[in-house]
Amino acid sequence: MMTAREQILQAVRDASRRQESAGDNVALEAGRLLEGIESCRPALPSVDVVGSFMARAAGPKVGASIDRIASLSLLPSAVGRYLAGRSKSAEIVLQPTAPLLGLDWSGAGVSRGENVDDGIAVGLARWGIAETGSVVFHSSRDTPILQAFLCALHIVAVPARGIVAHLDDYALAARYAGDPAPRNACLITGASGTTDIEGSLVKGAHGPRELHIIVVDNGIPS
Amino acid sequence: MNTRSDRPRVGLFATCLVDLARPRVGFAALRLLEEAGCSVEVPLDQTCCGQPAFNSGATAHAADLARQLIGQFESFDYVVVPSGSCAAMIKVHYVEALAGEPKWLARAESLAAKTWELMSFLVDVRGYRPAGLALATTATYHDSCSGLRELGISKQPRELLAAVDGLELRPLVGNDVCCGFGGTFCVKYAAISNAIVGEKAAAVEGTGASLLLGGDLGCLMNTAGKLSRLGSKVRVMHAAEVIAGMGDGPGIGEEG
Amino acid sequence: MRVDVPPFKSRAKAALGDAVLKTAIDRTAGNAEKKRAIAVGDFPQFPAARVRGRQIKDHVVANLGHYLVEFEQNAIRSGAKVHWARTSEEASRIVIDICRAAGAKRVTRSKSMLGEEIGLPHALETAGIERVETDLAEHIVQLAGETPSHIVWPAMHKTREQVATLFNAKHAVRPDSDAIPDLVASARRDLRKKFLTADVGISGANFLIADTGAVCTVTNEGNAELTTTPPRVHIVTAGIEKLVPSVDHAFALLRLLVRSATGGDFTQYTTFHCGPKRPDDADGPEEFHIVLVDNGRTRMLGEGLAEMLRCIRCGACMNHCVVYRQIGGHAYGATYPGPMGSVLTPVIDGLAKSHDLPNACTLNGRCAEVCPVEIPLPTLLRGWRDKSWKEGLEPLTVRAGIGIWAYFACHPRLYRPATAISVRWMRLFSKGGRISWMPLAGGWTEYRDFPAPQRSTFISSYRAMRKGSQQ
Repeated sequence: MMTAREQILQAVRDASRRQESAGDNVALEAGRLLEGIESCRPALPSVDVVGSFMARAAGPKVGASIDRIASLSLLPSAVGRYLAGRSKSAEIVLQPTAPLLGLDWSGAGVSRGENVDDGIAVGLARWGIAETGSVVFHSSRDTPILQAFLCALHIVAVPARGIVAHLDDYALAARYAGDPAPRNACLITGASGTTDIEGSLVKGAHGPRELHIIVVDNGIPS
Repeated sequence: MNTRSDRPRVGLFATCLVDLARPRVGFAALRLLEEAGCSVEVPLDQTCCGQPAFNSGATAHAADLARQLIGQFESFDYVVVPSGSCAAMIKVHYVEALAGEPKWLARAESLAAKTWELMSFLVDVRGYRPAGLALATTATYHDSCSGLRELGISKQPRELLAAVDGLELRPLVGNDVCCGFGGTFCVKYAAISNAIVGEKAAAVEGTGASLLLGGDLGCLMNTAGKLSRLGSKVRVMHAAEVIAGMGDGPGIGEEG
Repeated sequence: MRVDVPPFKSRAKAALGDAVLKTAIDRTAGNAEKKRAIAVGDFPQFPAARVRGRQIKDHVVANLGHYLVEFEQNAIRSGAKVHWARTSEEASRIVIDICRAAGAKRVTRSKSMLGEEIGLPHALETAGIERVETDLAEHIVQLAGETPSHIVWPAMHKTREQVATLFNAKHAVRPDSDAIPDLVASARRDLRKKFLTADVGISGANFLIADTGAVCTVTNEGNAELTTTPPRVHIVTAGIEKLVPSVDHAFALLRLLVRSATGGDFTQYTTFHCGPKRPDDADGPEEFHIVLVDNGRTRMLGEGLAEMLRCIRCGACMNHCVVYRQIGGHAYGATYPGPMGSVLTPVIDGLAKSHDLPNACTLNGRCAEVCPVEIPLPTLLRGWRDKSWKEGLEPLTVRAGIGIWAYFACHPRLYRPATAISVRWMRLFSKGGRISWMPLAGGWTEYRDFPAPQRSTFISSYRAMRKGSQQ
C-alpha cells in the first residue's frame, strides 16, 4: 500500500504527464527566472544606499524613527537621548551580544533590566535593506528572537556596512555569509500593527508599538 | 476580399438584444457605418452569437451558434457589432467554444481577426468622427466590462461623443465597475444583481447628468430598468444613437 | 407555491439585508481596494513583476514533484520532520497526533487559511486541546464562534461596535474603552500570557522555500513569531502549491503579495523558519514539523485548474468583486470566498454542493485584472459552469430555457416569427414604454422595470425598409 507521500508524488507525476515535462534543467530555469529582476522591483530613490534606507525607514510606509551615529561607542548616549523625556524610567534590555554588552551604558541615563515583556529592547541587526526599510535578525546564541517581539519599544542598531540595496542583495549576502542557515531569519519592517478592525491601523498589535533604528557607521565587528 | 478597399464590405451583426428590444441601435449602427464609407449588409438569417449559452456552460449549444454565425459572416471584410460583449464573444471566445474542432478553429480565428465592436471600428479602423452634430445636454458614460477588459474599449466612445456639439460628458464614479447585468446572472441571482445595479443607479444619479450612455444594450437595459423603478428622470440610450444623430429620440423604456 | 430556496441564495439574501455587514465590507474591502491602487500606482515595475510572478508560479507547478522532493530533503536536513497528507482529515489527524505526542494542552495558532480548509479548529476542539487564535481577526472570529469571512481580514464582517461588545464580554480584563486602539490593546493583554505558556504553536506558510527547506510566514502583527518561538513544538500546515525555488523567488512574489493584499510595500514581519532550534540558539522550538497537504491540489493539476495553483492568497480578487462586495464572505458557505473561492470550493467540497458559486458571477473580469499572478479567473469559473452543465447540475428551468433559446437561434426561419410574436406579447405588458411585471420575467421585474421592446424587431424592420426602397 502506498504511503501518503508516494501517492501524492505519483498523483503529481500522473498529472504532469499530460503537460510538458520539464526535463533536468529545473534549476537552470529557476535561475533564468531571476535574470533581469531589476525590471521587476522598485528602484531606489538614489545611489546612496544608506540614505535611501534611512529615508524609507522614516517614511510613512514604515514609520520607524531613525538616527545615525559615527561609531558604536556612541550608541549608549544615542539610546539615552532617544529615551530622554519619557515619563517612564527607561529600563532597557540588551540583546545578549558582545558588541552591545561591551559598551559603557553607565552614563546614558538608562538602567539595565531583564524583563523585556512590554519593555524596551535594544538589539543589533546584521543587515538593513534599503528597498523596504527592513532590519534583519538571524537567530543564534546571542540573538533571542523573542526579544524583538515581546518588547513595546524596539531600538535597533544596524551597521551602515550591513545595509544593502534590495531584498535580493540580502538573500545573496545571507547565502554567502558562511553561516549555516539560522532557525529564524526575521526581516522586520516597522513596528507591529493591525488593520483587522474596520481596516483602521493600530500599532502594537502583539509586537512592539515603536521601532527606532540607529545606523552605525563604524565599530561593529563583522 | 480587399481589406484596404476604400469602401469595405461590412457585415452588421445587430445582436439578439438589439433585434428584440431596441432596433434603433441597429439603425444607428447602419447609418454610422455608411457615413464612415462602408458598404453595409445585414445577413437576414442572423440570430444570436451564443454568449448566453456559452456563459451558462452550455458549450455545445454555443458551438452550434458559433458555427452558424461564422458561416453567415466570414465572407465579409469586417464584421461589426454594436456590443462589446457580443463582439468579444466572437473575437475572444469562439476559439474556446470550438476548441475541440480544428477545422472550425481556423475559421473562427479568421473571423475573430476582422470582428470589431462598433465604436472601436469607427475610430480605430475608419478614423471616423461625426460632423455637424449637436445635442445640448449633460451625459455620463458607463464602460461595459467585456468591451473594456476584453477589447480595450474606453477612449473610442469618448472621442466620438466629444465631437457632438453641446454634449457635456461628466465622469461617472465607478464607470468601470460592473452594473450587475452579467447576462443570465441578473435573473438567476436577481437579488444580488439588484444590489449591484442599485449602486450603479445611485452613481449615475450622483453625476447630475440627464443622459446615461454606454456601448452594451444589456447593461443599459439593466441600469435603465433600475433607474425607472426608482422613479429617476435620467434617460438611457446607446452611445451609437447619439453619435448617429438620433440622440433626440426616446430613451430606453420611454414610449416609442 | 414557494420552491425550496437553495442555501447559497438564502445566505446571499440574508447578507444583502444586513446593512451593518455592508458597512463593514465597505470599510475593509473598499479601503483595501483604494490602498492597492495607490501601492500599484507607486510601483511602476508592477506589470513586469506580475508577469515574472506568473512565470515563477507556473514553473513551480510544472515541476511540482521535483520541488516537493527537494524541499523535503532540505527540510529534513535542517532538522525538521516532514509529513504528507492526502486529505483534510489526514492533515488534521497528523497535527492532532503531534500535539498528543507532545502532551499538548494548549495550542496557539497564527493565521492559516489552510488550517481552516482542513478543519483544524474543529479537530483541536474535538481532541480536547485548547486552541488560542493569536491573529487579532482570528481571535475575534474565535470569540464570536464564527468562521473567517475574508482570507486576509477574517473579521471584516465585524464592526468596531460588534468587536467592542465581544471583548467586553469575553476578555478577562475589559478593554479601557470602545475605541479601536483600546480594543487592540485589550487583545494584546488577553493573549500575551497564552503565547508564552502554549505547548505547541501552529502556523501556516506563505511560501515553502525548496532550496533550504525553510518556511516563510508574513504578518503585520508579529503573532507568527510569538506563536512559533516560545512553544516546544512548531507545526506548519501548508498546501503543496506554496513551494518556490528559493528565497529570491519568494521575494519576487512578496513584492506582489503585500501590495495586492493590503496596499503596503512589505509586511512588518517576514520570517523564514528553518528547522528547529539549533543547540546554541537563545530561543526557539525543539521540534519543527511541516505537514504538506494535497486536499485536491493534485486533482487541480490534472483537471485543467493548474493556473489556480498560482494563487498567493492576496485577496485582491474578492476586494474588487461586485458580488463579494454585496454579500460578504460568509454567504459563500466555504473556507475561501470571492472569485478564488468560487474556483477552489468545487474542488474541495465537490461541484454538486457548490455549483452556485461559479454561477453567481457576472464574469466582468475585474478579478483577473487585479490578480497579481494573472490567474484567468473568469475562464476557470466558466469551466466549472461547463462541467456543471455536463453533469446536469443546473436547474431544469435553466437547461430548458437555454436549450429552447439555442434551438430557435439555430433555426432562423423559426426564430424570426418566434421573436416577432414575443415582441408583440411583451408589449402587452407595457405601460408607457415600461414593463413592471410579466410572466417568466420575475427575476428581472421584481427589482427593475423591463423596457418595452419596439413594435417590430430590427431584422423585420430592416427587411421591410429594404423592400420599400426596392419598390
